[in-house]
Amino acid sequence: MVQRMKEIYEYRDMIYSLVRRELRGRYQKSVLGMLWTFINPFFQILIYTLVFTLIFPSSIENYYIYLMTGIIPWTFFSEALGQGAGSIVGNADMTKKIYFPREVLTISSVTAKFVNMLLGFIVIFIFLIFSPVGISAHILFLPVIFIAEYMIALGFTLMFASITVYLRDMEYIVNVLLMAWIWGTPIMYDISLVPAPLQKILLLNPMTSVIVSYHDLLYYHALPGVLTVIMLYVVGLVLLLLGETVFVRLEGNFAEEL
Amino acid sequence: MNPENAIEVRDVRKYFKVYLDKGHMLRERVIHFSRNKYEKREVLKGISFDVKKGESVGLIGKNGCGKSTTLKMLTKILRPNAGTIETKGRVCSLIELGAGFHPDMSGRENIYINASIFGIKAKEVDRRLNDIIRFSELEDFIDNPVRTYSSGMYMRLAFSVAINVDADILLIDEILAVGDNAFQTKCFNKLKSLKDQGTTIVIVSHALGQVEKLCDKAVWIEKGLIRKIGPARKVCSEYLDVMEKERIARAEVEYRMLMEEANTVAAGAADEEEQEKIQARVRSGSYRTLSFQCGPDARREGSGEVRFTSINVYNSRGDKTLDFNINDSLIIEMEYESDLDGALGNFSVNFTRSDWVYCYGTTSKLQTGEFIPLGKKGRVRFEIDALKLLADKYYIDLRIHGTGKDVYDCIFSMFEIRIINPEDEPKESGIVMMDCSWKVEE
Repeated sequence: MVQRMKEIYEYRDMIYSLVRRELRGRYQKSVLGMLWTFINPFFQILIYTLVFTLIFPSSIENYYIYLMTGIIPWTFFSEALGQGAGSIVGNADMTKKIYFPREVLTISSVTAKFVNMLLGFIVIFIFLIFSPVGISAHILFLPVIFIAEYMIALGFTLMFASITVYLRDMEYIVNVLLMAWIWGTPIMYDISLVPAPLQKILLLNPMTSVIVSYHDLLYYHALPGVLTVIMLYVVGLVLLLLGETVFVRLEGNFAEEL
Repeated sequence: MNPENAIEVRDVRKYFKVYLDKGHMLRERVIHFSRNKYEKREVLKGISFDVKKGESVGLIGKNGCGKSTTLKMLTKILRPNAGTIETKGRVCSLIELGAGFHPDMSGRENIYINASIFGIKAKEVDRRLNDIIRFSELEDFIDNPVRTYSSGMYMRLAFSVAINVDADILLIDEILAVGDNAFQTKCFNKLKSLKDQGTTIVIVSHALGQVEKLCDKAVWIEKGLIRKIGPARKVCSEYLDVMEKERIARAEVEYRMLMEEANTVAAGAADEEEQEKIQARVRSGSYRTLSFQCGPDARREGSGEVRFTSINVYNSRGDKTLDFNINDSLIIEMEYESDLDGALGNFSVNFTRSDWVYCYGTTSKLQTGEFIPLGKKGRVRFEIDALKLLADKYYIDLRIHGTGKDVYDCIFSMFEIRIINPEDEPKESGIVMMDCSWKVEE
């Protein structure tokens, strides 16, 4: 495993250029170019704001802030899994013809989405500053949650991406799963509104703690519980190891299966 | 691992699962659970060979013999089912060119992406960027998006990146067909200079000429086993011999099948429409019936009043063959039949080199001074005591003329013969051999 990590690290330049390719290449032909990375979340938030202040006013105060601090990290998670699952199959040509640690493809895919989320946070900050909620020093604690979420997302994606090579349905199953998953995570609602027995079930979902932590930091201006953070890292590490183990087990026949 | 070796392959076996009824979809997997059967197709049945440091080795063999699989296992893309492969140093494979190119990004940016996939650090690319661009000859276009490149430009850029990687071991799969002739020569020279600098090279190619020129050693793989390892020149020419014999055997089978079809037509077994079709094929391929040695590009013309019925080429030992050494004798035996009673005929033989240089020609009338009186059936032998043409491929055209310019039967490129120089280093160049000597006078 250590050997493998080293090898992946050796290929960090490849990860860097694949991430760059995905981020830059995506909007290369458009007039606004990289600006779209900001425009997308901006309008996403704007629309939610309009809908939830004018059409469905919510009981949660400054609901749009509450919503955006959850929806942007969720978008990262859901895109990472949804698209990352196809990261090996989608690069079949490369996988079949060139040697490199296959994880690189999945890591690059997840990282590109991650970078998109970080850019989305800039938009969140701007909204926060101009909203009654305001911004506090708690944002300095954000990277701790970023890393935990990244680990969780990568762990899942490694698993799904390697399974997809053998079972193409996995890609679609993941997307259906994500559709349900978003409602099993307190993004649109507050967890305290959920009946107690259901709450316990929701807490089994690692994304619940992630989103709750973002809410704590940005919306409530509070630090997340120490236990929550420790739990997040334990879960993140376990998922990452599990994902990598599954990946390594399945990786041997990638070139033949594709 | 022996410190002298760059690659050690030991008793490697590889099979692929060929699913008889493959379903990637869950539904198919579940429904056909019991039918998810597969056949094991053995591609490599235990091969072993070493490649010394700085040596260049060519893998040759027919399609599907396992050459490319071997190469893919050397790059670690595929894993052997049994046996071990060890390599020492950085391996770079020129199997897939232009991997990861993004069409909307500039040539320069794509160099970085492509190089990083080969495991090269951006810093290293910085250092070599100018070399890469210069080699690709794309200086003026390097900042344009790759989608605006022609396919030749695209390949040139890709090849330049791959070949400018500092690799200890370079693996190449049939890719010297990049760009125009000038660029190909440049690539070939670059490979040679890399070889001189001590890079170990393994190349898979059907272009045996390239293998002979570039490689010290050739490994001939046949049906998943090593048939022969040895000096490239020797193994390549032996391989060609066997391939030629196989081709002739195959042509013989096809010829027999054609004759059988023709017989069926004669027997009236098929219906009318079918008969016509078969007859058309028999006519167009009628030169085939003359000999199973006939070349792939043969063409038949002429009035057909007098026609060849069989033509064969022999060497001095009386074997039917198309391969000759310089100075060998060559015998062409022609049988004909004639509809004209008591006509006079003139037979001609012409040699044309593979690049369409006309090399030699003569007729029976010119050499004997007489026309040949044609019976209803007959046989004419043409003998060359010593072939003086230098090593290359030649086409032989055969004709039967009348006394004037009229052509009864004519087959262009009837045979494609190969003349081989048995010596390792040819002493002459050009078209023909001449008796000559050098004397130094004080």
